[in-house]
Amino acid sequence: MNSANRTRAFIAVGLLPALLLFVTFVILPILWSAYYGFYDWKGIGKATYIGFDNYAEVIQDPVFWKSLQNNMLIVAASVFGQVPIALVLALLLMKGSRLHTFIRSAVFMPMVLSSVVVGIIWGYIYHPEIGVLNFVLDSIGLGSWKQQWLSDPDVSMYSIMVPIIWNYIGPYLIMFIAALNNIGSDMDDAAKIDGAEGSRKLFSVTLPLIWDTIKVAVVLCISGSLKAFDLIYVMTGGGPAHSTELLASYMYNNTFSIYRYGYGSAVSTTIIIVSLLLVAGSQYLMKRGDRL
Amino acid sequence: MMKKKATVFLTLALAASLALTGCGSKDNETKTEGGKNKVTLTLWHNYSGDDQRAKTMRSIIEQFQSSHPDIKLDVQAIPPDGYRTRLKTVAAANEMPDLFVMWPGVMTKEFQAGNLIQPINELLDSKKEWKDGFLPGSFDGFTVGSDIYSAPIALSPTSILFYNQSILEQNGLQVPKTWDELLHAVDVLKGNKMTPIALGNKAAWLAQSSIFSSLADRVTGTEWFLKAAAQDGAKFTDPEFVKALGYMKQLGDAGAFPAGFNAMDNTQMEQYFAQGKAAMMIDGGWALTNLATSASAEAMAQMGASVLPSMPDGKGDPNTISGVVGTGIAMSNKVTAEEKDAAYELMYAMAGPDAQKRVLESNQLVSYKVDLDTSKVTPIFAKVYELVNTVNRTPVYDGVLGSAAADEVNNGLQELLMGGKPESIAKKIQEAQARAVQTDSK
Amino acid sequence: MMLRRTKSGIVNGLMIIYALITLYPLIWLFISSLKSNEEFYSRPFQLPTKWHWDSFSRAWKISDMGTSMLNSIIVTALSLVLTLAIGALAAYVLSRFQFRFKLLVMGLFLLGMLIPIHSTLVPLFIMMNQTHLLNTYGALILPYVAFELPIAIFIIQAYMNTFPKEIEEAAFIDGIGYWGIFLRMMLPLSTPALSTVAILAVLRFWNDFSFALVFISKPALKTLPLSLSMFATGYMTDYQLTMAALAMAVVPTIIVYLIFQRSIMQGMIAGAVKG
Repeated sequence: MNSANRTRAFIAVGLLPALLLFVTFVILPILWSAYYGFYDWKGIGKATYIGFDNYAEVIQDPVFWKSLQNNMLIVAASVFGQVPIALVLALLLMKGSRLHTFIRSAVFMPMVLSSVVVGIIWGYIYHPEIGVLNFVLDSIGLGSWKQQWLSDPDVSMYSIMVPIIWNYIGPYLIMFIAALNNIGSDMDDAAKIDGAEGSRKLFSVTLPLIWDTIKVAVVLCISGSLKAFDLIYVMTGGGPAHSTELLASYMYNNTFSIYRYGYGSAVSTTIIIVSLLLVAGSQYLMKRGDRL
Repeated sequence: MMKKKATVFLTLALAASLALTGCGSKDNETKTEGGKNKVTLTLWHNYSGDDQRAKTMRSIIEQFQSSHPDIKLDVQAIPPDGYRTRLKTVAAANEMPDLFVMWPGVMTKEFQAGNLIQPINELLDSKKEWKDGFLPGSFDGFTVGSDIYSAPIALSPTSILFYNQSILEQNGLQVPKTWDELLHAVDVLKGNKMTPIALGNKAAWLAQSSIFSSLADRVTGTEWFLKAAAQDGAKFTDPEFVKALGYMKQLGDAGAFPAGFNAMDNTQMEQYFAQGKAAMMIDGGWALTNLATSASAEAMAQMGASVLPSMPDGKGDPNTISGVVGTGIAMSNKVTAEEKDAAYELMYAMAGPDAQKRVLESNQLVSYKVDLDTSKVTPIFAKVYELVNTVNRTPVYDGVLGSAAADEVNNGLQELLMGGKPESIAKKIQEAQARAVQTDSK
Repeated sequence: MMLRRTKSGIVNGLMIIYALITLYPLIWLFISSLKSNEEFYSRPFQLPTKWHWDSFSRAWKISDMGTSMLNSIIVTALSLVLTLAIGALAAYVLSRFQFRFKLLVMGLFLLGMLIPIHSTLVPLFIMMNQTHLLNTYGALILPYVAFELPIAIFIIQAYMNTFPKEIEEAAFIDGIGYWGIFLRMMLPLSTPALSTVAILAVLRFWNDFSFALVFISKPALKTLPLSLSMFATGYMTDYQLTMAALAMAVVPTIIVYLIFQRSIMQGMIAGAVKG
C-alpha cells in the first residue's frame, strides 16, 4: 500500500464510525420529520399531502414571528453576554490556585442544576408579591423601579435574559480556560517578540490564538439559544399571551399538545433553516474578523 | 505513560460496544419467555407520585395482580409531565399499550378517528348496575356515536368559588350571589388592602377552565356554546360572547386579582389563598388534593365553597358548576378476543364501584354515586362534595373546543386581562374553531 | 506594585461574591429538600422550622432511584466513552487532513448542532421499533452519542487546530503511523478539550428527559430524569420530594465535574513539555 492510499484509508476509517452513527440517528430522522412537514397530519391516522401549505402558514403566523424575535433577543444576549463574560472570567481565572479553582467551579454550578431549580429560584427573585428584587428596590428607595418582571410583556423578555446569561456561562468558561492554557507558552513567546503588553497583548496575541475556540463558542451559543426553552418554560410558560414564546416551545406545542404534527414538523424544519442562516452569517463575519 | 493511556482507552471503547450488543440479545430472551398460556397485558398510567390518589390507584393495581395470577401485567407508571408526549409518540407509530389512561374529549375523539382504541359497550352492558351508578353525562366525553370508549375514574368540577369565611366576616361581607355583589366585595376588599380573588394564571388554562367557562355559560347559556363550538348557527363573534369577555375584563379592571397573577401557577395561587392572603379563589376540584397535601388544618377549617355568582340578564342557569369527568382506562384496538376478558376485568377493577369509593376517600371527586364517609376526607372536601352533588354540570371550554381554539381562548384571556380588546380576541377564537371544524368534516 | 495588589484584591473580592451568588441555588436546593411543602411556598428563602430528613429516603424509595441511578451511570459512562473515542478520532481527521468533501462533512456535523431534539422523537421511535432497539441501553446510548458528536468534534477539532504541525512531522520521521500519532500524541495533548467535552456530555446524558421517556418503557431500564419527575400530578408538584430527589441526583454530576475540571488545567503541563 502506498502512502496516499494509506492516508485515504485512515481518513475513511477515522470518519466512518462518527458519520455512520450521526447520519443514522440524527440526519435520517430530521429528513423524515421534514417530510412530515409536507403533510396535514395529526400525528394519528391518515395523512394528506398538502405541499408547502404548512410552511406558508408558518410564515404567516404572527406567533411564529414573535417567537423568532424572542429567540433573536436570546441569541444576542448569549453571544454578546455569555461569550465576553466567560472570556473575561477565563482571563482572570487562568491560574491553578485554590481560589481560582473554587470560583471556576462555582460559576459552573448552575449548569449542573436542573432548569426546574434555577427557574423556581429566579421565579422567586422576580415574584410579584414576595419577590426579592422588588423588596430590594423598595428598601433602597427605588420603589418606583418596581416591575411585574415576568408578567409584563414589555419587560418579561429582558427579565428572562439575565438568568439565561448567568446560567450558561460555565461551559464557555471552561472551554476558554482549556484553550488559554494550551497556548500559554506560545502566547508569552509571541508577546515577548512583539513587545506587547496589557490590552495590546490581549488583542494582538491572545485573541487571535484562541480565535477558533471563540468561533466554536459562538456557534454553540447560537445553536443552544435557538433550541433552549426549558428554563423559560419553567419561569413563564411562554406567556402571558405568547409574549415570551420561543421557537422550540412553539414547535413542541404544535407537535405534541394540539394534534398538529405535520405543522409542528414544518416549524422544526423552518427552525433549522433559520439557525443555519444565522450560523453561516456569524461564521462569515468572524472569518472577516480573522483577517483583521 | 502515553501508551498505557491509549490501551486503556481502546479497551474501554471496545468494552462499551460489546456491552451494547450484549444488552440487545438479553432483551430478546426475556421476550420469548412469557409464552405459557398466560394472558399478558401492558398497562400505562400516570399515577406515579406520592399523592393519595396515585397511591390508591397503585394499590388497586397491585391487589389485582396478586388476586389474578393467570394474568400477567406489564405495568408502567409514567411521570404525568411526560405522559401525553409518550402516548402521542407511540400513537404516531401505532404502537399503543393494551390498556392506558386516556382523557375524555379531544384525545378520545382523535384516538377513535385514528382507529387506535376499541369500544367497551359490551363490558358496560354486562354490568348494568355499575353503568347506572355513574352520574349523568359521565360518558359523554368518552362517547363517539353510540360507542363508549372508557369509564371515568375522576370528576373535575372546574369552577368552584372557594372563600375564606373569617376574611369575609372581618370585612362585613357575605358570599357574593350576584355579579354586582361580587364587584361590591372586590371594591370593599381592595379598600381594606386585601386581595379579593387569588389567581395564578401562568399556565394560561386556569382562567379559562375555572373562571371563564362558568362565567361565559351564565351569560350565553350552554345551548349557545355548544352551537358555537359546532359552528352551527352561532359564532364566537356573536354579541353575547363578546359580552362575556367584557365581564371578564371588567373583573380584571376592577382589580380583583393579585398583581402579577400571570407569573404565578395554580399551586402558588392555592397556597396564596390557603395562607389567608386572599378572600376568595376560583379553582377546580384538583385544588382539594393539593390543599390536602400542603395546607394546614386551621386554614382548611376556614374554607367554604360555593357556585360562581349569577350574571345580569344571563341566559344560563346560575346554579351550575362547569366541569369535566377525569381520565379513564382505554383499550387498544390490538387487544385480541382472548385477551379481552382479562382486559375487562382489569378495567372493572380500576373503575368499578369499589375503586370509585376508594378514590373518593383519597380526596378525589368521582363521577359515580358513592356515599361519602366524611371522617376519611378533609372538611373542605366534604363541603365541595356536597355542593357538587346539588348543582348541575355545564361544559368546560377546553373540554369541548378543538385544542387549537382552546389554546386561543387561553392566550386570549391572558391578553384580555392585560388590556386586550374583547372583539379582536373573539375573532381569533372564532377563526381557530372554524378551521378545526372545517378540517374535521373533510 | 502596591496599587496592582489592591486592584487584584478588589477583583478577587468581586469574583468571590459572584461565586457565592452562583453557588447559592445549589445550597437552596439542599435546604428546600428538607422543608415541608407548605414551607416551600410560605418561606422560600428561610431555613425550615422542622427539618425533614426523611425526604431523601422517601424520595429514593418511592421513585425507585436505586435502579434508575444505576441505569443512568451505565448509560452515561458508555455514551461518554463512545463519544470521546469516536469524536476525537473524527476531530483528528478533520483537523489534520485535507480531502475532498471535507467541507461537506463539517457542514453536516454543523447541521446536527441545530436540530431541535423533539422533532426527531417520532421518526427515531419508529426506526428503533423496527430494529428492536427499543428497551435496550442502546436505544439511549446510540442517539445520545450521535447527538453529542457534533459538539464534541467541534470543540476537540478547534483545540487540535492550535497544535503546531512540527510535532507530527517529527513523529513521522520516527516512523510512527497515523494511529500512533493519534493515540500517543493527539489524545493525551487534547486532554483539556476532551475533559471539556466530557463535562458537557455527561450533563446532557444524565439529564435527558425526552429520549429516556419515549425509548425506554421497561421500569428496570429507566434512567434518573424519569424518577425525578414522578412527584407531580399534573395539577401540582410535591416539591419536598422533588427537591430531595434532585439534590441526590446532582451529587454525581458535581463529582464528575470536579474530576474532569482538574484535567482541563493539564494543558499547562502539556504546553510546558511542548515548548
